[in-house]
Amino acid sequence: MEPRGSSGVGSGNSGTYTPEIAESLRFEEEIQSLIDPSFDASSAAGGSFTALLGLPANQAVELLHHPGPGEPPASAATDTLRLPFGCSSTFVERAARFSVFATDDSPASSSGGGLSPGLKAEPPDSDSPPTLPAPAGKPRRPSKRKECEKSKVSRRPRWGFLSRKAVAKKSKSAEENTSAAKPAAEENTSGDKLPYVHVRARRGQATDSHSLAERARREKINARMKLLQELVPGCSKITGTALVLDEIINHVQSLQRQVEFLSMKLAAVNPRIDFSGLDHILSAECGPLAVASGCGGGASDPAMWASDTAASTGGIRRMPAPPQIWHLDVVHPQQSSTVWENNGVAHPHFLLSPATSLVGYDPASSVPLNSNRLKTEL
Amino acid sequence: MPPTSVCVCLSLSLPAARQDNLHSMDNHSTHGVFSSKHVNASLAERSHRIKMAAEMGLVRSSRGRHWSRALGRRLLQREGITGCGCKNAALSTSSNVFEDLGVREIEDDAAEIETRVRALQRLVPGGEELGLERLFEETADYIEALQGQVSAMRAMSCLLDGLEREKRMMGK
Repeated sequence: MEPRGSSGVGSGNSGTYTPEIAESLRFEEEIQSLIDPSFDASSAAGGSFTALLGLPANQAVELLHHPGPGEPPASAATDTLRLPFGCSSTFVERAARFSVFATDDSPASSSGGGLSPGLKAEPPDSDSPPTLPAPAGKPRRPSKRKECEKSKVSRRPRWGFLSRKAVAKKSKSAEENTSAAKPAAEENTSGDKLPYVHVRARRGQATDSHSLAERARREKINARMKLLQELVPGCSKITGTALVLDEIINHVQSLQRQVEFLSMKLAAVNPRIDFSGLDHILSAECGPLAVASGCGGGASDPAMWASDTAASTGGIRRMPAPPQIWHLDVVHPQQSSTVWENNGVAHPHFLLSPATSLVGYDPASSVPLNSNRLKTEL
Repeated sequence: MPPTSVCVCLSLSLPAARQDNLHSMDNHSTHGVFSSKHVNASLAERSHRIKMAAEMGLVRSSRGRHWSRALGRRLLQREGITGCGCKNAALSTSSNVFEDLGVREIEDDAAEIETRVRALQRLVPGGEELGLERLFEETADYIEALQGQVSAMRAMSCLLDGLEREKRMMGK
């Protein structure tokens, strides 16, 4: 079994699961079709896939042995996301055999071998119980993949609204099954990877690279969502896309409001503080902005500031008695309170660099321009 | 993803000579680029200007980001249109972004999510033209930059507050 970096649910590297997932979903559906000839794949709204998986292995085996009345209640599916496949490898073998033959033929004997080369090995997800008995080797893979897929499926939010309307369901796996936005059974019949040719296209779904690309895109989006969740405090516990988005929006709004409030406070705390010369700063901004677009958010470049200064001080000197503008560049904002103590020192964390002023203390340059004037004013 | 250290630029201007300000030009004169403001410029005006300076700081600290360019463009636009006396801020702080969207119904999950995404697009500068994936990236960066800006401003106000108090005590 080739190890694969399975990092759990819905994260960035799950792009590798795509073919397996497709495969396992379809093979699941085939099982159902075999069990119950009247079983309608498209009506698997109850979540036949997870329904089957949600059962303990005994019941699942029973179901297969005795094709019973349709699917088990969906509640079983939603209860447990884990599939304790611990007990029987017989079920697994059967499943493997069933999947190879897409018809109603009685399962032939040694067909499990036909399945094995087609399956890529995957280690089970860390949160699904890796309780499979050891050596049924390759036929075990479908079950493992089903587990992986199940946990993935159940937790992945749907991003289909941007392209299509998706039907909301309680069971996410049901969504997976029925939603047009998630052609979850995009599959892998393109036999370029697998010799697994006996699969049937999912009803009404496209089986082309578009679906795969869409799936990859959604995985990316989910990865970004997770990052945002980590960024916003208290968001990681929240489940549900809409609520998480709510939190993010609230956070952004609150930050913007804080900026406004703090600017008012700054204006109030010291009546002398004012900001003028906005025009100049803005125009000075546009030049360097166009030039230094690759600069990102790292530590500011003293050379850049210096050139900015040179450009702007030329303009300033023409003006009569311009107000002093003092810029504080804070590399680590939480230390900004120490700036006063370090006024005369080129503190490694701070760059006091003027952008548009005569007055500035630029540690990068050897001449502190009028820094004494700055001090006396304060 | 954005780097962990946030570079924040906050610009304040201190009048070169208070006496000059008291005696010379009035509030609304605009001599060329620099219009020196009267010391007693209203709180609202000053806070607005400080806010624009803070936004400039945001823009400068995260150059090269899509939202940063969009915010810079927006600021420039406002400055060009309104000069220095306007109350419209580049960062709109309407209390309910959803209201602006005029969306009332929340039929199902997809629409819910969609309204929220649109709201987020309005909040993040330059977000309206971005796809979902890019939007989330920009949002994350924007949040980081805002957090840095807020903490810098908070530290600044704390600092200046302490200074004022000291001065008052010294004076007495």
